[in-house]
Amino acid sequence: MLEKLERPDEVRRWKGRIPVSHRYTPGVAGDVFFTALRDRGVLLGSRCDSCDYTYVPARLFCERCFAELSADAEVGPGGRLVSFTISYTGLEGEPLEQPVAIGLVRPDGADAAIVHRIVETGDEPLEIGQRMEVVVKPDEERTGSIHDIDGFRPTG
Amino acid sequence: MARRVAVVGAGMTKFVRRAQETGKELAWEASRAALDSCELTLDDVDAVCLTSAPDAFDGVHMKGEYLSDGAGAFGKPFIRTYVGGGSGVFTAIQAWYTVASGMADVVLAVAEEKMSSTQPHPQGAFLTIFDNVLERPLGPNLLWIFALEMNRYMSVYDLDKRDIAQIAVKNKRNAAGHPAALLGQSDITVEDVLGSETLAWPVQRLDVSPISDGAVAVVVASEEAARRITDRPVWIDGVGWNLDTTYWTNRDLVFPEYVANAARMAYDMAGVTEPRKQIHIAEPYDPFDYKELHHLEGLLLFEPGKAPEAARDGVLNRDGDLPSCPSGGLLGVGNPIAAAGLMKIAELYWQLRGDAGERQVPGTPERGVAQAWGDLMQVGTVVVMGRDGVSRSSGSSPPATSDTVAATSLPVVQTPPYATAGHPLSDAQFRGAVGAVDHAVDARYEWDAGVAVGRFLDGLAEGRILGRECRGCGRVLVPPRMFCERCFRATDSWVDVRHSGSVETFSICHVAWDMTPLDEPQLPAVISIDGSDGGFLHVLGEVAPDDVRVGMAVEAVWKPEVERTGSILDIAYFRPRATGD
Ligand SMILES: [Zn+2]
Repeated sequence: MLEKLERPDEVRRWKGRIPVSHRYTPGVAGDVFFTALRDRGVLLGSRCDSCDYTYVPARLFCERCFAELSADAEVGPGGRLVSFTISYTGLEGEPLEQPVAIGLVRPDGADAAIVHRIVETGDEPLEIGQRMEVVVKPDEERTGSIHDIDGFRPTG
Repeated sequence: MARRVAVVGAGMTKFVRRAQETGKELAWEASRAALDSCELTLDDVDAVCLTSAPDAFDGVHMKGEYLSDGAGAFGKPFIRTYVGGGSGVFTAIQAWYTVASGMADVVLAVAEEKMSSTQPHPQGAFLTIFDNVLERPLGPNLLWIFALEMNRYMSVYDLDKRDIAQIAVKNKRNAAGHPAALLGQSDITVEDVLGSETLAWPVQRLDVSPISDGAVAVVVASEEAARRITDRPVWIDGVGWNLDTTYWTNRDLVFPEYVANAARMAYDMAGVTEPRKQIHIAEPYDPFDYKELHHLEGLLLFEPGKAPEAARDGVLNRDGDLPSCPSGGLLGVGNPIAAAGLMKIAELYWQLRGDAGERQVPGTPERGVAQAWGDLMQVGTVVVMGRDGVSRSSGSSPPATSDTVAATSLPVVQTPPYATAGHPLSDAQFRGAVGAVDHAVDARYEWDAGVAVGRFLDGLAEGRILGRECRGCGRVLVPPRMFCERCFRATDSWVDVRHSGSVETFSICHVAWDMTPLDEPQLPAVISIDGSDGGFLHVLGEVAPDDVRVGMAVEAVWKPEVERTGSILDIAYFRPRATGD
């Protein structure tokens, strides 16, 4: 029934792409989060008292009970390492000159964790549960971006 | 036996050009408003049905999962459905069968769309709905499809552009009192529409509902739950959905049979035997003004070609005999795609309860129909809704008239329970938003021509146009396929068809897909190929735009043989052909 392809190398193909890009704006709560990070160098979360849960970054609503939340719960700068990985390859699978440590850190006062780089790792091996601290760029270098945070560093 | 199901709450955000809210935040605002409107909390919700159009709009893959927390799905059974523009109405259908089946008693149905993220224009996300091998090399623009369908509809029924434009006027006027509308305008005239920029003739700027951000949610409940939640549930009496072929150039562009099929399914379930008498209010899908007319006919509310006349006679006005799009529709309220469809369900809910405030249609409408349309303009999704007191099998409920108000009118709620969030961002705020990130999904594709089209392209390189014969239905299929989608059997043989045909429909397109103006207008056309039962999309040449007519005889103009590569572009264009040979 179907005609078999005898020369697969000659199969007709069209190359193309979907020619769009996106501009992601951070939303109502995200706006407050990034403004506070830029202007004050702090991490803002949102506290839901009825669920006894503090989100970070800040959120407009509690996904557990649907209450409206305020972006006013300052968390960190200390925290605990929830988990980590060390990446030896880049996006395309190429080896990295310098391995990158990525950590999931729960800032003090928060129930949620943030993913970011681990910096200033030193010689000691990383350990889940260890104390960490957010490293924020100097005032004049912050622009309102997740890169206003350099990463988290071990503090003991 | 399916359980009886009702809508018991609804909420929506404002529809705006660009929302400050993220998609999640929009979804939450609408969902929260819907729950608040019937005094439920998230704990009362058993399951969540969500819809949102292509991931490429938000630029978020797995958008359903991304939006789920805003839709109240934390720790609950959750599913996202997607049938293009038909999605908003379909998510109500999905909520219906989740409840009708007994799987859940209370379901939150949520539709969200954030189209403003896409740069430079959301149309870019739509380009791959065209056949990547046979159509995209022609440089299509999404507007082509609508312009071609609109022109065909106008030509077959000999309609004037004014007949079409009056719908845009009606809907933008209807939306003037809508607290969530983006495009309400009480003083707009047909002249304004006719004077607006021509994008792809006959489509002009004001014939189209523009891209928007927004969200809508409705609460759907079983009969038992509904009676507990409200004394005025609005029943989902019938649902229907239907899909036509993706070979859109083979389709009847004049009558949306797929909408009629979906409508028959829904009417049958609702016991509606005479739609024009038993349906008192309609919310047909109106992303373009002609679509409302097209869809009213597809919904079997008017004979084919007769909806424009009804519009002229005022039948479709808010105070007419069959109010159509009293919400203001997509043309008036806005077009965040999936959300706009569910908005129609919400509008019927408010109208049938008597809660529509300034927009309330006079009389006591008992039953309404909402419809949406989408995918490759091929899906019809239909929901029939009715309030208590409608006999499900009654064949002749009188149409609502203002005479009946005194006797049976429902209490009118003056302040409809809308979410009034949906904060617009100005251009400058959008460009300057703190924390904003620009990113392109850097994915590249290679599309294979496949078996049938591969051979078709080989034929083009040899200067032949090949069709494929199906002896089951006797059709010669162009574009060819190895199976017949009607008979669902393998097709039988290759057939050389003529290099001539006729213009099924055409457009004069002045803009590229990103809406930038073209130096020279393009003349896309659907060409019916002689000797076949089909045809394909191509462009016209050697003809002045004003001289093109539907039905005009044309012939292929081939590229010189040495320049042919086995591409749809091996035919340079089609030109008018002297007839009588
Ligand atoms: Zn909570």
